[in-house]
Amino acid sequence: MSITLILLIIVPLATAILIPFVDSFSNSARKIMVVFSTLLEFSIGMFIIVVNFNEIMDNSFFLTYYLGQWIPPIGITLSMDMLSLFFSTLISFSLLLIVIYSIGFIGHHEGKYYVLLFLIWSAMHGIVLTGDIFNLDVFLELLLITSAPLVAFKRNRNGTEAAIKYMFYGTIGGLFVFIGVVLVYFNLGTLNFAEISKNFSNLSLFVQKLISFFFLIGIFIKMGIFPFHFWLSKAHSACPSSISALLSGVIVKVYVYVFIRLFWNVIGYEVLIETGLNHVILVIALISSIIGHIMALYENDVKRMLAYSTIANLGLIIAVLTINTKLALIAGLLHVVSHLLMKVSLFTTTGYLLQFTHGHKRSDLKGVAYKNMLVFIGFVIGAGGMVGFPPMIGFASKWFVIKAFMSDGLNWAALIIILGSIFAFVYYIRYIVTGFKKINLGPPDKFRLILTVFYREQVVTDIAFFFVIAVLISGIFFKLLFGPLEGVVQVIQNPSLYINAVLGM
Amino acid sequence: MINNLVFVILFLLGFYAILVKKNLIKMVIGLNIMEGAIFYWFISITDRGKAIPIVNGTQVASQMNDPIPQALILTGIVIGASTSAFLLTLIIELNKFTNSTNPDQIGGMIED
Repeated sequence: MSITLILLIIVPLATAILIPFVDSFSNSARKIMVVFSTLLEFSIGMFIIVVNFNEIMDNSFFLTYYLGQWIPPIGITLSMDMLSLFFSTLISFSLLLIVIYSIGFIGHHEGKYYVLLFLIWSAMHGIVLTGDIFNLDVFLELLLITSAPLVAFKRNRNGTEAAIKYMFYGTIGGLFVFIGVVLVYFNLGTLNFAEISKNFSNLSLFVQKLISFFFLIGIFIKMGIFPFHFWLSKAHSACPSSISALLSGVIVKVYVYVFIRLFWNVIGYEVLIETGLNHVILVIALISSIIGHIMALYENDVKRMLAYSTIANLGLIIAVLTINTKLALIAGLLHVVSHLLMKVSLFTTTGYLLQFTHGHKRSDLKGVAYKNMLVFIGFVIGAGGMVGFPPMIGFASKWFVIKAFMSDGLNWAALIIILGSIFAFVYYIRYIVTGFKKINLGPPDKFRLILTVFYREQVVTDIAFFFVIAVLISGIFFKLLFGPLEGVVQVIQNPSLYINAVLGM
Repeated sequence: MINNLVFVILFLLGFYAILVKKNLIKMVIGLNIMEGAIFYWFISITDRGKAIPIVNGTQVASQMNDPIPQALILTGIVIGASTSAFLLTLIIELNKFTNSTNPDQIGGMIED
């Protein structure tokens, strides 16, 4: 029993509920509260790591919390193993910085904005920690319905259209997950992950196939993999840049967690191999990857280009995970970290640079490098990481992804990844060249002085630099990540560890 | 068997509305039909035709219906109501910009 697990969900939830009350009497009190809760939530995550440091080092880390003291399989179990800890740390780290970025970036309706941001934080921790399949479905819906208002946050036509699409696709995806939950409960009479995992192989092959199929469709719709990717580019580009970073960098990674947890620990990867679904996933994910790159090549809007690049990289992550060797799983998880850092740094720098331009088109970015050279160099470093240049972390993760494909004899898949990198080089270099084009700077813009008040530049640029430096540093010292990643892979590949830890056998 | 059949028919009916109808509000109704189909299906297939919970001392648990599906469905209804309410709000918002509820205004559902 560990009370810290429920605190990880409750602290942001309570903050979200309290913000409107605090906001009604004082603006500055709300700001202090936002920073305080962010730091509190982050330090709870750090506290878990520090207290259990020895267990994490020898891979025996496991925490549980039984809601209402109901012993599983009856009640809802919250549990944290290495896989949950890995994603929970990523979420806490990036949300801490994105909230601080938002303090400088968002200049209007801040009360509403932070309510939704903290609800998203709570939902993401709920997804990562829960050990109950219906609870997972509820948190997935909470994540959808709290991120959709932020997509429409600019209250213009584009944002509203994007949010309607996002809601339709997300709700249908949620319905497919719900059908999966119904089938699981009808056939096994339980909702607990460990109990389902223990009994799943007793079901007939047809039912196993059906359940895997529905979960797969639901998660792929929510993730934006190839046949269902139509909503993603619009939703991830119509919102403020801080939310683009959150959606494109962090929230899609939470769906990757759901994919890993369901198909390795709950359903069991053998089912996918038996039914032949793993080859289907591999092909779909690679098609998704190449289509994302091609769409980005044809795109003329900088934020939509970054969103298409998300589709491409997500396809890459899913494709490499399906190989299911130790090397492939480590490569996939390393690319989760690297894509998170690079995409957030790209969106944070782009968000800052777009305040100097009149639109998001490529031609609008002309000469933007001379407005703030350092931030533009940050953009260049992030783009270089996406393409896969050393010493950025993108090089390390892509190297291991290609190595994993080659070691499994899938040379054509490795070729597709390299081809995608070449496409990425082409579409990023165009923006970099446009940014460095000479322009007449002219007298300082009066309009810009007003913007500076809203944007509180120092905070925004500092956070952008922080992410860029993280991309560089982690690219050099990526070997340090391998220790924890091996522990994570051990949890992924041995579902019996999870079952025994939850059911206490 | 009839339960599964009704579920499939209702679910496909809702899906048809989302794919074919040229009115966003009708598409939301289609979404609700899909949700309703799943709720109906879940309730009907887990019905054992026995007494209604709560156990009051004289009955045994094996003579009772399973109450968990009802709890799950109630949660599902709440989620469904809130998603449709929010979608309708967004449609009103879109109507302010375009004066229309045609999904082609937003580039259709399968274009980007």
